[in-house]
Amino acid sequence: MTNTIQILSIEKTGKESSLQKEYNNKSIKIIDGYFFSTNLDDQKFTKISKLISNDVSQTILTKKNVNKILSSYSNFNWVVEIKFLPGVTDNIATTVKEIIKDNLKSSFKSFELGSTKIILIKGRKEDITKISKNEANPLIQTIKIYPFKKYLNNFKKNQFKIEKVKLPKKKYSKKEINLDISDYHLSLIGKLGIEENDKSRRGTLGLDLESLKTIRNYFYTINRKPTDVEIETLAQTWSEHCKHKIFSAKIDDIQEGIFKKYIKGATEKIIQLRKDNFCVSLFTDNAGAIEFNKDWIICHKVETHNTPSALDPFGGAITGIVGVNRDCLGFGKGAKPIANTYAYYLADPNKKYQLYRQKNKDPMLPANFIAKGIISGVRVGGNCSGIPTPQGNVYFDDRFAGKPLVFCGTVGIIPKKIKGKLSHKKKANPGDIILMAGGRVGKDGIHGATFSSEELDPNSPVSAVQIGDPITQKKMSDVIIRELRDENLYSSITDNGAGGLSSSIGEMAKESGGFIVNIEKVPLKYNGLYPWEVWVSESQERMTLAVPPANVKKVIKRFNARGVEATIIGKFIKKEKAIVKYNKTEILNLDMEFLHEGYPKLNLKTSFPKIKIEKKKIIKKSSLIDKLHKLLSSPNIVSKEFIATQYDHEVQATSIIKPLQGEGRVFGNATAIKPLFDDEKSIALSQAAYPQYAETNPYDMAGSSIDTAYKNLIVTGANSKKIAILDNFCWCSSDEPGRLYQLKEAAKACYDYAVAYQTPFISGKDSMFNDFKGFDKTGKSVKISIPPTLLISSIGVVDKISHLTKITPDDGDILLVLGNTHNELQDSVYSKIIGYEKSKNPVVSSKDALRTYRNFEKANKLRIINSAIGVDLGGIGIAVTKMAIASKKGLTIDLKLINKISVDQFLFSETQSRILVSMKKNKLANFKKIFKASNYTIIGKCTGSDLIEFKDNKKIIRGKISDFAKSYKKNIRGL
Amino acid sequence: MNVLVLSGYGINCENETLHAFEVVGFKGKIVHINDLIQNPKQLYNYQVFAIPGGFSYGDDTGSGNAMAKKIMINLYDQLIDFSLKDKLIIGICNGCQILINLGLVPSLNKKDPEVAMVENKSGSYECRWVDVKVGKNKSPWLKNISILNLPVAHQEGKFMIPVNLLKSIKANNLIGLQYIDHNKKLAKGQFPFNPNGSKDDIAALTNQNGNVLAMMPHPERAFYHYHVPNWQNNTSKRFGDGYKIFMNAKKFFS
Repeated sequence: MTNTIQILSIEKTGKESSLQKEYNNKSIKIIDGYFFSTNLDDQKFTKISKLISNDVSQTILTKKNVNKILSSYSNFNWVVEIKFLPGVTDNIATTVKEIIKDNLKSSFKSFELGSTKIILIKGRKEDITKISKNEANPLIQTIKIYPFKKYLNNFKKNQFKIEKVKLPKKKYSKKEINLDISDYHLSLIGKLGIEENDKSRRGTLGLDLESLKTIRNYFYTINRKPTDVEIETLAQTWSEHCKHKIFSAKIDDIQEGIFKKYIKGATEKIIQLRKDNFCVSLFTDNAGAIEFNKDWIICHKVETHNTPSALDPFGGAITGIVGVNRDCLGFGKGAKPIANTYAYYLADPNKKYQLYRQKNKDPMLPANFIAKGIISGVRVGGNCSGIPTPQGNVYFDDRFAGKPLVFCGTVGIIPKKIKGKLSHKKKANPGDIILMAGGRVGKDGIHGATFSSEELDPNSPVSAVQIGDPITQKKMSDVIIRELRDENLYSSITDNGAGGLSSSIGEMAKESGGFIVNIEKVPLKYNGLYPWEVWVSESQERMTLAVPPANVKKVIKRFNARGVEATIIGKFIKKEKAIVKYNKTEILNLDMEFLHEGYPKLNLKTSFPKIKIEKKKIIKKSSLIDKLHKLLSSPNIVSKEFIATQYDHEVQATSIIKPLQGEGRVFGNATAIKPLFDDEKSIALSQAAYPQYAETNPYDMAGSSIDTAYKNLIVTGANSKKIAILDNFCWCSSDEPGRLYQLKEAAKACYDYAVAYQTPFISGKDSMFNDFKGFDKTGKSVKISIPPTLLISSIGVVDKISHLTKITPDDGDILLVLGNTHNELQDSVYSKIIGYEKSKNPVVSSKDALRTYRNFEKANKLRIINSAIGVDLGGIGIAVTKMAIASKKGLTIDLKLINKISVDQFLFSETQSRILVSMKKNKLANFKKIFKASNYTIIGKCTGSDLIEFKDNKKIIRGKISDFAKSYKKNIRGL
Repeated sequence: MNVLVLSGYGINCENETLHAFEVVGFKGKIVHINDLIQNPKQLYNYQVFAIPGGFSYGDDTGSGNAMAKKIMINLYDQLIDFSLKDKLIIGICNGCQILINLGLVPSLNKKDPEVAMVENKSGSYECRWVDVKVGKNKSPWLKNISILNLPVAHQEGKFMIPVNLLKSIKANNLIGLQYIDHNKKLAKGQFPFNPNGSKDDIAALTNQNGNVLAMMPHPERAFYHYHVPNWQNNTSKRFGDGYKIFMNAKKFFS
């Protein structure tokens, strides 16, 4: 009899090799363990072991052989046992349970099991402690360190234990909350949560005093006390995350708020000017959509998952990516996800920041742990879902030490019409059944929506962590897209994200009027959840559907046939009431109007912030070649190839402009996919953010982001009339007038540049409090705010394959820079690494930029351009070097052709709106006809040698391409 | 000519795999494994059985293991029967891992898996293009092909083969594809030419008849010329190298 199955790889695994290398210790072995809640007899043990292991590559450990087998590898002396805390999603265990259920139908009843990672080492206790810190996260896992002897003893005496979710057996009775209390006690409810009978608090609601008073007044008028469920629901629905109160607030003299005036305002203005059908669905749905061709539309959405990723980087990031996939599934009648995007803003993984959430305890995870976890979370989420992840970038700055920014995006595609009806329109009808499909509900992410709107402080609840299960979601997604949607079997659909059922049903019910939910019908992962927890839980992989009663049986049958659960949990009604019942007791009954619009509107004031800006920095003397190497190997320019190769960008066979470009594999700043087999149109994707410019000039920061995101698509070959953009504002301390001033400036630039470029905003999201409040290692209290970061994602249509460009010049090509270069080195990569004096930050002139872009587009269509790259971080110097690395062909740059500015200013200034292009010499005449006298400079040619050469009047400075490539492909320290 | 392309439980390359077969002239259908289990007889309507790439069961308990176990208890006899006829079976990437776990390839002792697919030597997922050469074998899938440029995308692509078995695999000419370097010589385990550290640079194996092919690279992702990296430098051809494999299936039945 035994209660564990432990499996060992015979040969050294890839993971073991990398651990051995990382810790410089050849005696490290990893065991895959499974702990069972019951004892297995020998027959079952043998059967199950065989089902979950491989005879050829693995050995199964038994009481008899364990000592002998392990000692053949090394004299291990320390063990760390890592398993998930009770209630945390354990995907491997789910698969094992399914295998056992399928194969041993009759012989096994109910049981629990948990997957475990056991690492054995020969070394000191300090060594195993260090490993455990890098391999496990105490927030979601239990970490047990003990001597190897104890491990053997545990094995012999069946002492490996699985911890089940143990919730106190509690009987729910309707709980009414007394709000007739002092302001102080009211605000405690908002900050710490509803008080339980034992005086403990449920966790922050994120409701301010004014909101609570508004709630109190509402219940005065209907003459009763609110229930706990009602307050929880209002907290979710009114959260900053769901209602975007700051963007909709009156701000200074802008009555309608900055969203209506600047973001939506820009799009409305553009639609008014364009008079075409390009924009299909804007701001109202889970994603925004544009026309792709006459039969198809494409949608795009970008989300952030910052706070959860700070606490559990892997779980936060995987949940971020599979969550935004569901936004696509929940767009219109359900779009198929066809591409993922990512952008990470992180602290330096090589530095130790040593921050604590509480004085001398509750440490922040190390920066490299966060970076690695985020990168792998999106890898597992994207790869397992079969959605390509071609487009992304990473940026490093110390100010992300308290909170990493994790942007995850998805592009989806859907036919314009389904059974003759417009696919982007949906409406839950009164009488439609509310169906919840996908995963079950547990305590995952309770209070996620309310807490992501708050600063990360000691009271942030740790139960706000979810881990995505991409396979469950993939199964559900396949049924919806392939089997239900095109038969029009449901009338509306939306995803369960922040706020769970309370948000998804609350939103959908606006279409019909109201809803009645029977909360006890919701299938649970384990017993013991309170009704309010079920209602607001953010357990992943769930969609809510509105299904006409006549189709319900059919829909449930389809889901079940594919191994997906689907449950009737209520119905939509005409009456504008939100009603939740628990075993017939009404525990929520609110007017829909109050639920959605009853929150108190904010009235915000801004003021010019006092920020000290470094004006001068000593320039370190070094040669041009040396400077190029320094810039190339700096974390924000160095190649991100190691991420591109981890992320499957080829699945779905759509990748046409890949993340790694040219034979020399340069990490591109735009990519393209060709989504349909029978249409040569492609979708080009890019994104840009300039947090480094935020404090100097937030207006120019936003202008630069829009310009870069737009330019990258133009350079790729997109049709300038078919480009849309998305805004993701990640701000800090958004209750301070100075930060609000920056916000207003950035939003104003959004309007100005979007209208100038005629690129509508189709979707957006904001996250307003990315601040860390805690302590440093000496116990001193610190606040670290991210620099305001506006990520602009761009999506555009490329009409023909022949319009797609490349970044690799050919022998004999001449090189030109399109657009003027100014002395704009402030906040540049050069200024950080080398230094600068008397410089400005980049300012975008949309007039000049558009002239360059229009001319480029024309020249590209006429095949005058042979290769092109957007000039980006590091300026022309880096763009030239990237071209040479990508093509493995030498270039000569003639520096005497520059005038007015210095060589360094010319080569490293980050002036926006510039494109480096190459063309055959004989195309120059035609090129000049298009560009006329507009701003371009011929700077050199492609020689085809193995050198990059810079010619001055007196001398030639040379560097080998292969050396530059080495610098460009250096590993980022700490990763 | 009909092809059945399997789907379900995290398989995810079924659309592009079916498309590749259709372009060369097959009629085909994507069939969910649960539907095939419900009605295994439908297999007899098909000449080709394709298990596409993906992440069945999230690679938990080893890539391809859980799906292989599901096939084993529900469809094993039918599949063996299919493989013994004048029909073709292909497993690509996760499909390859499933075929290996089923023991359908190399199938020298006719029972139990003989080869294992294990984690890449690098310890990380590898999505990159590789060159492979066709080994000495009689697989109709690989007939008249010498070298292919194809992408791989996997976490567990390393073939692990016991020494004696490797000898018989070689003696029986069952090596389908092997990774090669820039000089068209065997990669000899050298990264990134051999992306996973696979034994003897093996990228694909066949059964003794050659009609079952288990390959890690993705031919359906190298189907059109614009799939190939840096295709802008060579736009004269319509198809990429992956096309040849699907064409061979067509030729086999013509």
